[in-house]
Amino acid sequence: MRWLDRLLRRRQLYDDLASEMQSHLEEKTDELIARGLSPAEARAEARRAFGNMTYIQEEGRAVWQWPTLESILMDVRYALRQMRGVPTMASVVVITLAIGIAATTTVFSWTRRVLLDPLPGTGAPERIFALETTTASGSWTPTSWLDYRDFRRYLKSFDGLAAAYPTSLALGDAARSERVWGELVSANFFDVLRVQPALGGLFSSTVEENAGAQPLVVISYELWQRRWHGDSAVVGSVVDINQFPFRVVGVAPRAFHGSMSGEAFDVWVPAAMLGQIVPTGGWWLRDRGTRTFRVLARLRDGVTFAAARAEVESFTAFMASVNGAVSKGMEGRLMPIWQSHWGAQDALREPLVVLLVACGLVLLIVCANAASLLLARATARARELGLRVALGAPRVRLIRQLLTEASLLAISGATLGLLGAAWLSRSLNSLLPSFARPALVAPHVDRSVLVFTALLAITVTVLAGIVPALQGSRAALGEALSSGGRGTAGNRGAARARRALVTLEMALAVVSLVGAGLFFQSFRHTRAVSPGFDAQHVAMASVSVTLAGYDSARAEAFLGNVADRLSREPGVQAASYTDYVPLSLGAGSWEELRVEGYAPAPNENMKLYRAAIGPDYFKVLRVPLIAGREFTLADDSAHAPVMIVNGAFVRHFLGGGAALGVRVHGWGRWFTIVGVVKDTKFYRLSDAPTPYFYVPVRQVYRPEYGYTVLLRTAGAVPQAVRAIEQAVRALDPGIPVFNAMPLESYVDGPLEGQHAAMRLLILLALIASLLAAIGLYGIVSYAVTQRTKEIGVRVALGAQQRDVLQVVAAQMGRLLFLGVAVGLIASIAVARLVGSMLYQVPPADLAVFSFAAFTMIVISILATSVPARRALRIAPVLALREE
Amino acid sequence: MPDSESRDLFPGALELMVLRLLKRQPMHGYALVQRIQQASQNLLQVEEGSLYPALQRLLKERLVEAEWGVSATNRRVRIYRITRAGSKHLGIEISRFERMLEGITLVLAVGGET
Repeated sequence: MRWLDRLLRRRQLYDDLASEMQSHLEEKTDELIARGLSPAEARAEARRAFGNMTYIQEEGRAVWQWPTLESILMDVRYALRQMRGVPTMASVVVITLAIGIAATTTVFSWTRRVLLDPLPGTGAPERIFALETTTASGSWTPTSWLDYRDFRRYLKSFDGLAAAYPTSLALGDAARSERVWGELVSANFFDVLRVQPALGGLFSSTVEENAGAQPLVVISYELWQRRWHGDSAVVGSVVDINQFPFRVVGVAPRAFHGSMSGEAFDVWVPAAMLGQIVPTGGWWLRDRGTRTFRVLARLRDGVTFAAARAEVESFTAFMASVNGAVSKGMEGRLMPIWQSHWGAQDALREPLVVLLVACGLVLLIVCANAASLLLARATARARELGLRVALGAPRVRLIRQLLTEASLLAISGATLGLLGAAWLSRSLNSLLPSFARPALVAPHVDRSVLVFTALLAITVTVLAGIVPALQGSRAALGEALSSGGRGTAGNRGAARARRALVTLEMALAVVSLVGAGLFFQSFRHTRAVSPGFDAQHVAMASVSVTLAGYDSARAEAFLGNVADRLSREPGVQAASYTDYVPLSLGAGSWEELRVEGYAPAPNENMKLYRAAIGPDYFKVLRVPLIAGREFTLADDSAHAPVMIVNGAFVRHFLGGGAALGVRVHGWGRWFTIVGVVKDTKFYRLSDAPTPYFYVPVRQVYRPEYGYTVLLRTAGAVPQAVRAIEQAVRALDPGIPVFNAMPLESYVDGPLEGQHAAMRLLILLALIASLLAAIGLYGIVSYAVTQRTKEIGVRVALGAQQRDVLQVVAAQMGRLLFLGVAVGLIASIAVARLVGSMLYQVPPADLAVFSFAAFTMIVISILATSVPARRALRIAPVLALREE
Repeated sequence: MPDSESRDLFPGALELMVLRLLKRQPMHGYALVQRIQQASQNLLQVEEGSLYPALQRLLKERLVEAEWGVSATNRRVRIYRITRAGSKHLGIEISRFERMLEGITLVLAVGGET
């Protein structure tokens, strides 16, 4: 620790040196006086003989200094002094860097949470993969319990395979019931994921998977805190789930949120309890054709992904042929979690990648802008730097100094940016609607995010600092040689580099404008599509009759009573209910049909999506009835089964002919078509018209799905929402109500992600353009200053305003033309990449491209107008006097 | 920069002379300068101040040690003393210097013949 000791004793060392030198001078002076010199002469002579006191003292001190750290501190102090001299430039650079870094860090933290680290709280997650099934037609489907059991039994490549089924559950009894999201999981779930409990135990592979035998539940850390306030007595206590008592065995670790990336679950129950949770659940465990589970597989040590994948493929091909009746043509595929269809990443993957690219673009522009400003600074300081070269500073030293300045700016920007990111992070929650699915797990700023930001800061320093540092130091060499001449080679090089940077900025700004424009167009087109029903003035609220343990008769009566009670309220025009709200984030359920008189093509998919509805449904949603009638209360199990179909159904199956009276087979019965309605959208606004049908709730009761009450009101919608909640509570306070909101907000849900992504893209594009404008302004302004004399001479010789403007315009025009041209060409490539994410927008959308170019031109003219006006005001006399 | 030719002949020469003088007896900075000028018969015009950075270097390398004391003229001065490491270093440096001088002399002698 000698160096530390010295560091602490340094003050003493310096003092000793100074007093020693002082004493030397005095001794010499005394001696000279003794030789006969006058005191003044003696002092002067003593000083002369001693040499440069300050310099010598510095040199003496330098011996003790720890060269790197101390000179770095010196560089930093010097850099800070430099920045205080140009506060505007420094703050522009720091703020723009902060914006760029905040945006990039935010999107990165989400990308990491959703795509890169999808299973926090698990052990060795990099060995966990998703095993997914596709049908003969190539579309993805969940896996059945029996298929999962076979995978687990026969596949050799894995240490373990776990299954999970996500669902919403009613937690607690009637006195204190809440709706939570949970997973029904295989007993080895926690073993396969290698999760350690925060409290108590978890169920393990040793738990027998006997149906109904294990009423155990593991709760999330958050639920434990929220509902039990962290009381450790929760372990061993009993809590109702869907009105069946479960024993709490333990609390999952805080970081663990379940098996679906980005989504937060609160309870885990053994899949063997499906029969107690879902009325038809027991059947799910016995039927190979009922596919409801996600499968996660942990790769055995020493087995490669490729080998495991090959085994999965050959085994599932074998299973498809053995179980031909239900699995014909199906394939299994092993894939990384981020490619999986389960969890939030399926919806967030594309928006996040687009946003990440956009943020990268903005950050690049920010760097170019900072580089350009620093370069201007270096040029302005050429004389000072030149002086330092003349005094013997090596070029490396100058480069280090200039890089120190850049890194200081980058660090300040990154610090501010991190603060911004912590705040921005929540804003991305709006990428997915919070209703109808588990909450998103918001990322927080942790170590890897910090590392990422630090890497960004270093990259920024290098990108923004290296060109100015090289140019500046070269300019300094030139300056040193030509002793203050202007327009040296170094200066010209710096100017060239700045012009290139600004061109790059403008090109990137054009790209981000085009990107934002394309997504805006796409969103506009999607928004403009009419869903075929009128969601305005409609209130909705979902009820879990199943969770309350109702059987079909009670549930039907309950729904009827709610609708009846509501329709008598003032202002209510119609009330109804359904088991599928159109434009939900899932396609609902289907039934395999046979249509009288229609011969299906070979392999034709006769599984059609449907909704079970109550009377007055079409009146509430204002869907026009083309023929026939709506359902009534009389359409119940005591009467003949009836069905209403949409226009596309009639066109496809009945050749557009008469539909009323035609019989359709499903659920083992024959239904008679009694009505035809106009086409509406069911799943996504971008879907083409699809055959669809409706059946009465009283004839097809499917208890596993919740029901939603719909209400058309003449009054205020929020009031109507409350009316539904009150009506439900009045009839049975034990029934959980959720998704109580205006139908309009609900059906906008699927668009929410697009909307949020688009808003962010537009914001980023605006920032990009603004930065490009700043860059251009700087260049033109500098050029005007440099050519003040030339312009002055021209004006003196009779040049008109037009001629002066031409000088400025020529400066801007070349950069603008090049920037826009390069930007448009790059945009074509970018647009190709995002083409598949756009709805009814050609990648080469002329309107968008010309808008981007036009915006850039307008911004450039605005940015140039200030220095241009200054150029016009140049008085010849003043300009010449500068000489 | 006056007398730039008569300053340090090569890097380390000043340190070498300081060590040699301190080997004979401990003394303070001013005395060292006097002795160098005396001993060299004023052939070496050492800029007096340049002695001090050299002393700092020697202190840092622990070739000398220093102590505040009182000089013959009753002045508070810092007296330098050679350390054991300093003596050893001096021996090595002197023989190295002599060999270098020998080499230079030989080369110069060749130059004289042409």
